[in-house]
Amino acid sequence: MVAIEVDGLTKRFGDVVAVDDLSFQVARGEVFGLLGPNGAGKTTTIRIIMDILTPDAGSVLVLGQPPARAKAAVGYLPEERGLYRNLRVLETLVYLAELKGVPRTAARERATFLLESIQAGDWAQRKVRELSKGMQQRIQFVASLVHDPEVVFLDEPFQGLDPLNVERVKDAIGALHRDGKTIVLSTHQMNLVEALCDRILLIDHGRAVLYGRLEEIKRQYAPNAVRVRAGELPAHIPGVAEVALEQGAYNLNLADGARPQDVLKALVDRAVDLQSFEVAPVPLGDIFVAAVGGREG
Amino acid sequence: MDWRRMWVVARHEFTTNVRRPGFIIMTLAVPVIGAAVLAFGAFFGSQAELLGQFLEQQFDVGPEGIGVVDRSGFFSPILPEYEERFHPYSTEAEAEAAVLAEEVSAALLIGEDYLETGSVVVVSKGSGFSSAVVADSPTVRAFFADHLLAGRVEAELQERVSDPMNITSRVASLEGEGASGGEGSIAFNFIVPYVAGLLLVSTIFVSSGYLLQSVGEEKESRVVEIVVSSVRPAELMAGKVAGLGVLGLLQMLVWAGSMAAFSGGAAAIWQMAGAAALPARVLVLGAVYYLLGYTVYAILMAGIGALGTNMQEGQKLAGIFSVFAAIPYMLSTVFLADPNATLVRVFSIFPLTAPTTMLMRLPLAEVPWTDIVASIVSLLLSVPAALWVGSRLFEVGVLAYGKRPTLREIWLIIRGRGATVKRHRPGEERN
Repeated sequence: MVAIEVDGLTKRFGDVVAVDDLSFQVARGEVFGLLGPNGAGKTTTIRIIMDILTPDAGSVLVLGQPPARAKAAVGYLPEERGLYRNLRVLETLVYLAELKGVPRTAARERATFLLESIQAGDWAQRKVRELSKGMQQRIQFVASLVHDPEVVFLDEPFQGLDPLNVERVKDAIGALHRDGKTIVLSTHQMNLVEALCDRILLIDHGRAVLYGRLEEIKRQYAPNAVRVRAGELPAHIPGVAEVALEQGAYNLNLADGARPQDVLKALVDRAVDLQSFEVAPVPLGDIFVAAVGGREG
Repeated sequence: MDWRRMWVVARHEFTTNVRRPGFIIMTLAVPVIGAAVLAFGAFFGSQAELLGQFLEQQFDVGPEGIGVVDRSGFFSPILPEYEERFHPYSTEAEAEAAVLAEEVSAALLIGEDYLETGSVVVVSKGSGFSSAVVADSPTVRAFFADHLLAGRVEAELQERVSDPMNITSRVASLEGEGASGGEGSIAFNFIVPYVAGLLLVSTIFVSSGYLLQSVGEEKESRVVEIVVSSVRPAELMAGKVAGLGVLGLLQMLVWAGSMAAFSGGAAAIWQMAGAAALPARVLVLGAVYYLLGYTVYAILMAGIGALGTNMQEGQKLAGIFSVFAAIPYMLSTVFLADPNATLVRVFSIFPLTAPTTMLMRLPLAEVPWTDIVASIVSLLLSVPAALWVGSRLFEVGVLAYGKRPTLREIWLIIRGRGATVKRHRPGEERN
């Protein structure tokens, strides 16, 4: 089932093409990473899907409907976010839920339930301005969920959070995922993308650079290398071009055409005292830099 | 336009702003100041009464009484009601001695030829001033009148001569105006629409102040991004205009009501209103102009105000419209001189001056129907036009954080369509 379907989306601001013929799909129930450098067109894309902006070309369907008709089913935690400073927490949440079409009583019940679920029940009657920044961020997170949306857009949800709150938000995203919600996550924190996302779309200058399952992308970008923990290595191993010792493990860069399994066989044949053997992982951050930097270079 | 969402916004704006300390203080300021002025007035009013009594005593015969030497025979014996303050003396020397001894404050020497000449000599201890006081004293005048007439004319006539006028004031009114209510009606016919016009201008000022504050706060706190993901900017703007319009009207009614109450009582005003028989046409048209005027102004001000990066800037930008609303008041002498002058007719049709112009003009003269129709049509056409321009500006403005579009950009936004409209969305450049 497709939650979001974007096809040929284009958006210009004057001479700047913010989104350029962008197409992708987000499946129902997945955590989807929308990545890209600053100014790549992420927020513009999200704003179009949220029906805040209208595209110049292309189409968007959210749960099979045009964005204007899907507002009630979509939650949004914007990057540029804030709350009514002089309103009480509960009032704010009830108002935002009512704007999404939730009747007042139901909105109040749901908001109270959500506040209690984040151990913030006593904040309900406090004014937003009296809360600490971390508390406000948690309320903002609750605000994006108060109408029980099917699809949630989280634009930089970890921005400005301390490690403890990062964990809390991460857990909350995990809980939403388990509840079957569709989550679109936009963040610069690649370790969190790796921890949370099933699939990603990396955009730059409004165009898709990488798109697909995270594991597959990582595999594509994996260098032709293996990481080995072992006793002593023989001076010459067939298929290995270079050996480097990094943090107690050997990094073996393979020669052109050599495959990891050939190297493993060679090591076993030579009775090397192997403790671990793995294809060298590539951090998503490196892939990001390679994909975006490569284009710019 | 989703009316339910607009209603949610309107209700939210009203209920959150009506509780603001600023609103409560401003709203109650007029009744409180009015009550204070009234109390102040009452206090000094009673002081004035005391002062009046004091002055009256100074300018009337003193408690010592007045000596009378009567050679004419009209004043002997002294009538019982005057015995306490007027004392007869048989000779001028006795009377003069009594004055010197301060047994009496003055003495009246009434000659034999009094009836023919009216001559009376006043003997007093002090300056001539005392004589003048005695001569002007209502008590002394009544003393003469009563003694001259007692027993000679009917008591009623005698009473009238000694107290000839019971004065009540009345202002002359024009005949044939159809307003049969007397002195109050003409003033009322003019004052009601004049006040209604002022009410409109004030509501525009007050409501737009809240409107800009509300938009400014949503922009500054960035909550607007969440809000516009739920409602369309036009719905948000319309909801704000409606909710805060009601709020502004409420404040104006409290002010107007308390002013009416303090300036002689609302009941008196109602009585006067009934008597004035303010033409129904003026009332109905007044309400129409009021509503249309507020709508056009508020929408445009919301749009322009949203372009400001903060509330202060928004207010400055929107201030230009307040000037338009006030123009007819600045030119009220022209209006009063000739309510159907060409300039006035032009202002009646120009949508930004039409509401206040017509509110002032209607009661002053027989306004041609063509002018009324033209001004209403002009306002009716302006509402969608204002909504179109205002919502475009608002849409661009609410998402533009920290940067104000230039005049050229604003012009392009208004003129543009589709892509052009969105192209100058400065907030978009920071992704």
